[in-house]
Amino acid sequence: MVLELARPRPIWQIMFSTHHTDVALLYTITSLAFLFMGGVLALTLRAELFAPGPQIIPDSITFNRIFTVHGTTMLFLFAIPFASGIGNYLVPIMVRYKDMAYPKLNAIAFWMIPVGAALVWLGFSDVSWTAYAPYSVIRAPGPAADMWIFGLKIVGISSVLSSINFVVTIMKCKHPDLPLSKVPLFAWSMLVISLMTIVAIPTFAAALLMMLTDRLGVSGFFNPAMGGDPIAYQHLFWFTFHPEVYIFILPAIGMMYEIIPRFSRKPLYSQASGVFAFVMLAIIGFASWGHHMFATGMSFTEKTVFMIGTLAAVPASGMHVFNYLATMWGGRIRFDAPMKFAVGGIALFFSAGAGGVLNTAMPLDFITHDTYWVVGHMHLFLTGTIAFGFVAFTYYLFPFITGRMYNRKLADYHFITMFAGTVMVFFTQHLLGLYGMPRRVFDYPPFPAWIAMNEFATIGAFILGSGMLAFLINLIYSSAKGKEANMDDPFGLGGKYYYPVSAKTPHHTGY
Amino acid sequence: MGHDTAEWVYVGVICGILAWVGADSWYVEKLVDDVPKDAEVIKVTAQQWFWTFEHKDGTKEVGQLHLKKGQPYKFEITSKDVNHAFNMPDWVIMQDAIPGRINKAWFVPDQVGEFPIQCREYCGLLHYNMRGTLYIEDNK
Amino acid sequence: MKTTSIQSMKSILALLAVSLTALLVLPLVNLADAATGEKEYVKLRNEIWNLFFRMTTAAFVVGAVVSGTIIWLVWRFRESHPKNKAPTKWETGEAAH
Repeated sequence: MVLELARPRPIWQIMFSTHHTDVALLYTITSLAFLFMGGVLALTLRAELFAPGPQIIPDSITFNRIFTVHGTTMLFLFAIPFASGIGNYLVPIMVRYKDMAYPKLNAIAFWMIPVGAALVWLGFSDVSWTAYAPYSVIRAPGPAADMWIFGLKIVGISSVLSSINFVVTIMKCKHPDLPLSKVPLFAWSMLVISLMTIVAIPTFAAALLMMLTDRLGVSGFFNPAMGGDPIAYQHLFWFTFHPEVYIFILPAIGMMYEIIPRFSRKPLYSQASGVFAFVMLAIIGFASWGHHMFATGMSFTEKTVFMIGTLAAVPASGMHVFNYLATMWGGRIRFDAPMKFAVGGIALFFSAGAGGVLNTAMPLDFITHDTYWVVGHMHLFLTGTIAFGFVAFTYYLFPFITGRMYNRKLADYHFITMFAGTVMVFFTQHLLGLYGMPRRVFDYPPFPAWIAMNEFATIGAFILGSGMLAFLINLIYSSAKGKEANMDDPFGLGGKYYYPVSAKTPHHTGY
Repeated sequence: MGHDTAEWVYVGVICGILAWVGADSWYVEKLVDDVPKDAEVIKVTAQQWFWTFEHKDGTKEVGQLHLKKGQPYKFEITSKDVNHAFNMPDWVIMQDAIPGRINKAWFVPDQVGEFPIQCREYCGLLHYNMRGTLYIEDNK
Repeated sequence: MKTTSIQSMKSILALLAVSLTALLVLPLVNLADAATGEKEYVKLRNEIWNLFFRMTTAAFVVGAVVSGTIIWLVWRFRESHPKNKAPTKWETGEAAH
């Protein structure tokens, strides 16, 4: 089996290997470890907000540090490396090449992540993941903030390097018999996000450097006293990070494109529409960064332009949902864990998207901006769609990687609690936002509505957390002691629908 | 495989909804973007971690703001140190306070009472406690 | 099979179109009513909250259609459904890819 470790090897042989499946394993395990570490921080935050007054966190600076590291970890140390990990497993197979184009570069890109992560975690900065100037420049305590800057710098370089690798692998190392239009959609999603990363990241890299020199006092890019402008930072930041939203989400969409046709035992409804929607999102994703800044004093015209740019991205997302549902229509669906998570992810993807359309409407920004609505909205994408897609794919590849089957009962428990928890936490946070509760607060006044909703959200968070604990136990226990999987057809779908690992067959696209 | 009518209809419906969302919010934004001519200017200055309000006649208030019912007010919002956001959730007033810039917001109070003022943009240690109170009093 | 699925899809889309047209028309009627009353200033918070509720209504209508479709798909095309005993034409290889 291609993804399986060929034979038991000492761990350093895997660590210093440059083979794509070994690097992929490292990426996947590292990113899942950060998922659980970030999750513990999230539960700490929720426990603190259970009631007004200090609960378990002693002071507000600790709270601020925790939410900063939680956000940074989940976005840069979980979401991006996980997509690279699965990309490493499957992209070379999907384009029928023996490895990634640059195996050593691949390993280097991975090994930069622990370094960046160490800087972020040891610094434990309080700049918040957006690190808006001037707070991050003139007030954030060093050396934590400087370590955060360098940590993100390194993680950014790592993701640019791995993106270059993916683009070259797909464009140049693709089998000559395989036209680009027939490349499976997951590989397409990796191609698209890699190109987006290469275009988007340099802007943030520049902003980080400017922030660093500002902090050192040798420049004043974001300091009005020296002729700079704090808004410039937000433009630079969101020019990278609005496209980055799509960079986070497209791999999850691509993973669902792998799972849904196979478990529906049906060909994909339309490969062309999937490719079209990916490319559209990649282009339009660059036209909407300003909607994060409606409240900074933008003019009516600017707001209108960015509103139109944002709305323009919606039809493409809708085409993905249509493609999924039309693929399921008329199939014979087996609801094993990957399919459950994929379908749950589609439902939550729609809810998150609908909330996003509301955010876009300019005047509604006065209600929602910087409240818990935004927290709920963004987590509905990040947990409800991205984490659901990633978890689905972890279950999907689990037998191929370990040769064993996960425990189905634990996986069911995980699905139910994760779905219920996500709805309980993040839908409630939308409502909290409508009641005006600001985000990133350590404490809040004892308004009865706020207390009730915060309690409900915290309970939901712990239900979600119990599901993730089941996931962790399942991963560890089943990879050592799980039932041996039937490697020809671990999910019992019938042999007609090829798994990615047997993708060498000429007809493997379009399923 | 390939596109078919159902998908085009679906995309068309989505575009229709989006066009309505865009047009309606453009219309409302235009409505709320115009500040009434006779609005009284209140200068709002944010700093870590309190609000200062300066009335037209030069009187200053810290952490509380007294306004009259029925009178239009225009806020000129700025900050002395880091980014803040001036927010009165009950009145849907929300505008960032950014050093080196003056942002505007306006409203006409039509209800007497006490309402919370809060900071909505993360501004450091006491961000959660950067609160104030708005008192709206009867004009007559 | 293909034709029936498209027909049912079309009826759902038609339903969607009708409900959204209603949503479009209703606020306009309200607006016409409001215009007759004399008022000095725009009531900022009312305008914004009204916009919010119009859009939430639309979002929930579309959401009901989408989640209803998902629930129906999940219920009808699960492999344990009585009508799904036999392998589909895609599994037996009758359908061209």
